[in-house]
Amino acid sequence: MNDRTPDSDEQLGRRLAAELPRYTAPASLRIAVVQATEPATSRRPAWLSPLLAAAATAMVLAMFMLPVLPRLQPSDPVDQMVRAVVSEHSRALMWGSRQSQVIPTALPWLQEQSGIGLSSAFVGDDRLNFVSAEPVYLLRQRGLAVHYRDVDGHLVSYIVLPAEDLKVPDRARVQIDRFRPALVKDSGFVAWVWRQHNVACFMVSDMVSADDLERFKDYFVRVRTATEPVLAY
Amino acid sequence: MADPDFQRDALQHLNALYNFAMYLTRNPPEADDLVQETYLRAFRFSHRFQPGTHLRAWLFQILRNTFLTFYRLREREAAIAEDGVPDWDTPMFHDTPLDEGGAMEAHTDLERAMRRLPEEFRTVLLLAEVEGMPLEEVARVMACPVGTVKSRIFRAKERLRGLLKDYEKQK
Repeated sequence: MNDRTPDSDEQLGRRLAAELPRYTAPASLRIAVVQATEPATSRRPAWLSPLLAAAATAMVLAMFMLPVLPRLQPSDPVDQMVRAVVSEHSRALMWGSRQSQVIPTALPWLQEQSGIGLSSAFVGDDRLNFVSAEPVYLLRQRGLAVHYRDVDGHLVSYIVLPAEDLKVPDRARVQIDRFRPALVKDSGFVAWVWRQHNVACFMVSDMVSADDLERFKDYFVRVRTATEPVLAY
Repeated sequence: MADPDFQRDALQHLNALYNFAMYLTRNPPEADDLVQETYLRAFRFSHRFQPGTHLRAWLFQILRNTFLTFYRLREREAAIAEDGVPDWDTPMFHDTPLDEGGAMEAHTDLERAMRRLPEEFRTVLLLAEVEGMPLEEVARVMACPVGTVKSRIFRAKERLRGLLKDYEKQK
């Protein structure tokens, strides 16, 4: 290495160009810069963007169309009725009764409003407390709902609708004492379904577990034996 | 992001930019960071580059401005943080301190002398003599008139010559 003292500007300039060490960029730096230049989208598969765009469009369309799409209704009349009474039970569970009445005091008024009379009614006991009774309108029919609450806090709804030709499905029937109601499940709720004279009776609750179901059978017996609904007109 | 042609042209100057960054920072990791930041900025603002002008000068200008903005600021902040008051108020044309911390070791007297030059002198010599840039391009990089570049080159060589003489005497 020549470290002599230069005399002129030209010599010093030449010496700088020739002797000053040049540093070369490491390969890792070149790779890092090149990677930084690649837009993030170019590393995606070519089909991904159109697919995501199409999926997003479909989702937006579905969100707008959902309210106007025909809802899937159960074809079986029993299932339709169960869905309706479960909805009524859910409404009562969340917001309470619309026309809270006490039985048997309000029975004449309830009969007038619902078209269903109760010649006798279960008014509650040590396990199942009466909450309220009210007329309801389900599946374009007037009916009657009586709500109870058990000692564990479960709301139990007893709902009666006119249904002279309702066929209780044999496959779902369960023997309880001398009765054979059908057990139907819908939307996380469970319902006893039976016919009594010319009305359809339902008992709905959220007691779906095996233990709860045994108690729910007991509640059914209590209500069934003590209540006599009939079409009033 | 910049178009591929611009990126390819810009990447041709990677080694020259890295060499310049090494003489500015005297520290390989910092030189890496400085060059990466330079390219990121160049690609982000590629629409501001006027085609037909000198891409090399534009890139060097970005690198130097980035260095002056961030690296000098950081050095000053570090100096202030020591005892709470600024203790390194280096005038523009003063020599760089001998203590270089974790910087790379100089291999020759010439390199050692270059490192001691203030940034303005070091830069004009690197651009004009080492990179062989025309004075107009150097003036663009340094954002000053060509006459100022000529003056700085002259003074930088004077300072460099003096340092080399000192080293020669020490031997």
